[in-house]
Amino acid sequence: MNPRPRGTTAGAPFARLLEMLRPDLVRFAFWLARDRAVAEDVVQETLIRAWKSREELKDQAAARPWLFTIIRREHARLYERKRLPTVDVETVEALGDPALASDGDAGLEDLRRAIMQLPDEYREPLVLQVLGGFTTGEIAADLGLTQAAVLTRLFRARNRLRVIYGLQAAEDAE
Amino acid sequence: MSNECAHARIAIGGEPHAIPPEVTAHLATCAACRQFHAETLSLDGRLRAALELPLSNFRKAAPAPARRFAMAASVALALLVGGSFWLFRPQSALADEIVEHVEHEPDSWLSREPVSPDALASVLEKAGVRYDTRFPVTYASPCPFRGHIVPHMVVQTDHGPLTVMVLEHVKSDAEGVFTEGEYRGIVLPAGSGSIAVVARKGQEFDGDLKGVLEGVR
Repeated sequence: MNPRPRGTTAGAPFARLLEMLRPDLVRFAFWLARDRAVAEDVVQETLIRAWKSREELKDQAAARPWLFTIIRREHARLYERKRLPTVDVETVEALGDPALASDGDAGLEDLRRAIMQLPDEYREPLVLQVLGGFTTGEIAADLGLTQAAVLTRLFRARNRLRVIYGLQAAEDAE
Repeated sequence: MSNECAHARIAIGGEPHAIPPEVTAHLATCAACRQFHAETLSLDGRLRAALELPLSNFRKAAPAPARRFAMAASVALALLVGGSFWLFRPQSALADEIVEHVEHEPDSWLSREPVSPDALASVLEKAGVRYDTRFPVTYASPCPFRGHIVPHMVVQTDHGPLTVMVLEHVKSDAEGVFTEGEYRGIVLPAGSGSIAVVARKGQEFDGDLKGVLEGVR
């Protein structure tokens, strides 16, 4: 019997790892797609792709950013392949999407709506950083931007949200 | 605003938890930027909470415009992994959250010493819940769950320990059995809410459910 090469990912532990990370994958996909059904589909496709490519993951500690990157690509690919209409934020807001609901914390719900309304180029790096734990350098590499551009986008994203949070926005030459 | 302040605020707004040394040095001399930093850190705490959507919300009247695609993907995976069930289990956000919660308190199943009546009463009081089971309670903690404090308990049965969470604020119309990773559990309607019972996979607990449910007052 050939021993499994060091660093490769066995099936059962890998499946458990995916299960553990799945909630954050769903959340990340939702913040990208702003549509629950699309998010679920993106996650399904991501899990399939991750399973097929599991031997590529040499270090389980890197699973989270690896999966987030696959989510981003699958999200983009799904829109290209299926030619899905982009989500109209005004419509989402008008529907009062239950995904944004918060038990008794209206402020949190307002913040979620404000995040939904951020332009993609601000929302995506913000979610990667805050939810995904990516550094600005990693986000820059992932999005094909300079680190300075990422910092500016993150600053502007937070600056817009400061107002919702009841804070004064910083001066910005945006 | 000086150039230094403008530079500091972009750095803080860009990555508030990892500001560069020159910005740290600037903060030591600029009260306004220190305040901006503190505010941004506070905002980030709320941001994280906002981004961590309760998965239970995803079950509420979700439209499914691309469902056929998801089914096709599932079938493809079935062929691929031949028998791995992890992707095909019923979507259950509540089960996810319950198991996630149990996994965050792994020591809860280790104790065999009964919790004192006073300690148990204190936990139940904090959660505003009445529970009086005939099984010995060996762990009791008031835990945040879906925006409420709920009693997270472990009771000892003849078949092994069971985690019991009384979820007064989670309405359940029918019982739902779930298997998640190393755990098997059930959510049952109880009173105006529900009760979650979790065991290690393979542990029989069906016969103990009546006794667990009797505890809900």
